Amino acid sequence: MTRKLRPYDQPPRRKRTLIPSAPDSAAGLFLVVAILWLLAAAGLGILAAGARLFPDLLKVSFSVPLGSGIEVDITRTTIDPAFVDALVFGWLTNAAFGAICFMTPRLTGMRLASDRLANLGLAAWNLALAAGFALLYVKGASGLGSLAEFPLPVKGLALLGLLTVNGVFWRTLLPIRALPYISLLYFGIGLLALLGLFALSAIPGVISLGSTNDQLLWAFTARGIITYWVLGSTLGALYYVIPRVTRNPLYSGGLALLAFFGWLAFAGLSAIGALVDPSVPYVITSLGQAGTLLLLAPTFLALANLLATMSGRWSLTFSPGTIQFAVTGVAFLFVTAMLESVGALRGVQRLTAGTDWGLGVLVLGLLGGSTLAFYAFADHALPRILRRAGSEGFLVHGQLWTAFAGAALAGFAMIAGGLVQGSLLAEGGTPDKLNLTLLAFRSAAAGGLSLIALGGFALLVNVFLLYTEGRPVEYAVPPVDAASAAAAGR
Amino acid sequence: MTPHAPIATRPGLPRWALGLTVFVFLVGAVYLGSNLSGTNPPIAGGPSASPGAGGGSAAALAIINQAGCKSCHGPDLGGVPPTFPDLHGLQGGPTVDNLKQLGQQHPKDWMNIWIAGKDPSVSDPAMRKGMPVFGGPPYNLTPQQIDTIVKYLLTLK
Repeated sequence: MTRKLRPYDQPPRRKRTLIPSAPDSAAGLFLVVAILWLLAAAGLGILAAGARLFPDLLKVSFSVPLGSGIEVDITRTTIDPAFVDALVFGWLTNAAFGAICFMTPRLTGMRLASDRLANLGLAAWNLALAAGFALLYVKGASGLGSLAEFPLPVKGLALLGLLTVNGVFWRTLLPIRALPYISLLYFGIGLLALLGLFALSAIPGVISLGSTNDQLLWAFTARGIITYWVLGSTLGALYYVIPRVTRNPLYSGGLALLAFFGWLAFAGLSAIGALVDPSVPYVITSLGQAGTLLLLAPTFLALANLLATMSGRWSLTFSPGTIQFAVTGVAFLFVTAMLESVGALRGVQRLTAGTDWGLGVLVLGLLGGSTLAFYAFADHALPRILRRAGSEGFLVHGQLWTAFAGAALAGFAMIAGGLVQGSLLAEGGTPDKLNLTLLAFRSAAAGGLSLIALGGFALLVNVFLLYTEGRPVEYAVPPVDAASAAAAGR
Repeated sequence: MTPHAPIATRPGLPRWALGLTVFVFLVGAVYLGSNLSGTNPPIAGGPSASPGAGGGSAAALAIINQAGCKSCHGPDLGGVPPTFPDLHGLQGGPTVDNLKQLGQQHPKDWMNIWIAGKDPSVSDPAMRKGMPVFGGPPYNLTPQQIDTIVKYLLTLK
């Protein structure tokens, strides 16, 4: 006769850790941290839009009697850079690191060189970001320049994180000794560029090159980080997600390589276009701006390749989830590339200098294109990382529509507001007239950014529900259709 | 163990892609050809060109735009003589008579004092002739922001 065990006789149940250990622990952690940064970024975005609506209401300065005294300053000066930094370095960079840790082992067949080292990189990078943001609000503690505000010790810690992630990636990739899949080419170049550009932006903290040269260097590195790292990692993620989910082979390997080499050349040239100052020869700046125009070609080729890959599987766009995110992201990237090209023209630059146009295009690209691409990646990867069945519930719908409507509303409102602002400034409009005219645009931008925050929150809740209530499941790798594989020559 | 799952790729390159690349190249070349000579404006724009960010033309232009300096001194700050003076060429000191004494007394920071407008020596409305007190409401520019503008104005020749 068997006696039923009483509760205290039972062996302890095996506890589930928040993130499963190997093999995707680093990828999962990067993604969860990225989502938290997205919420922070969206919150800062709302503040940035609010600071434009009510400049006096959101201006806060106070002193903390610590040591020799710390003066905390919360104004547009600190909110704007914090928003862009949180978006680029917090959300998109962590999400891209997560994508690298998830995709590299699957595409190479090699286990990630060291999950522990990748987690160390995650800790160093995110601690540096948190410290950098705290110091941004302490008067005199931070440097200047777009995407380069963090003081030198913070940059040192961030560089350690970057070096670690680079090390893990290259140690996993290099032993395969063959041309890797296109996503990994984008990630590899993007990682090296981010490391190099981040190190370059730290130079003025060691040796000042003079006020103007420092600013030019920061303008160059900021533009380079957007074109090489953010655009590169976004395309890398899309090149993985779309063929994987549609189970079609990539439409054209030649097209992918042509687009890749075009991007490699013109992303750098486009960064030179940010060198706008009388001390820089006019023709050099023009060459860089031509690079921004030319960057449209590789971006378009890559996006066309991705859309052509969906051939025969367009019905997937009607069901909520990865492909809807990816296709919407592709549309945003295309519009952003067009607007970037238009914005590179000298006449447009004269009209929009110092207005909200630049931030609007950035919002459209980062919160529309890149965010939706990484939503697609998260939707595909999180169920596999957590080994739970993914859902197609209202939260996924919410994520898509809030991101789509939010990015479109905020981006286009800022762009249109920037054009109106530029026209009024050229006519010599008074500040009162400017503020009154721009009120509607800025209110719409604040509304759009609030929607994006809501979408980020939906993603976080989705991950939580996936973990707590999702049905445990083991994912098999989707096989490439036999016919497709034959067509691909495999 | 993470499964190895390569993504298949079709070989080949569609002809339209080459055509499009050549076309965009031509557009870029035409753009470059029509923009070979000229002078760049002072460094401006960028996502964090925000008011009060310290020295630097981007920050200065943002403050100038927001404070509305251009509404009186013109879009290029060239002034509308005789009412609104030209803001170029101030490296040697004030160019208008009512500020010459201020320039002699405070050769290094006369512009900061004048723009802030809070010092008793420059607060007389008759002397200011409509020039707002930017150091006070509703503008409330900080001494740092005013210094940023001054540094920028001193680069205008």
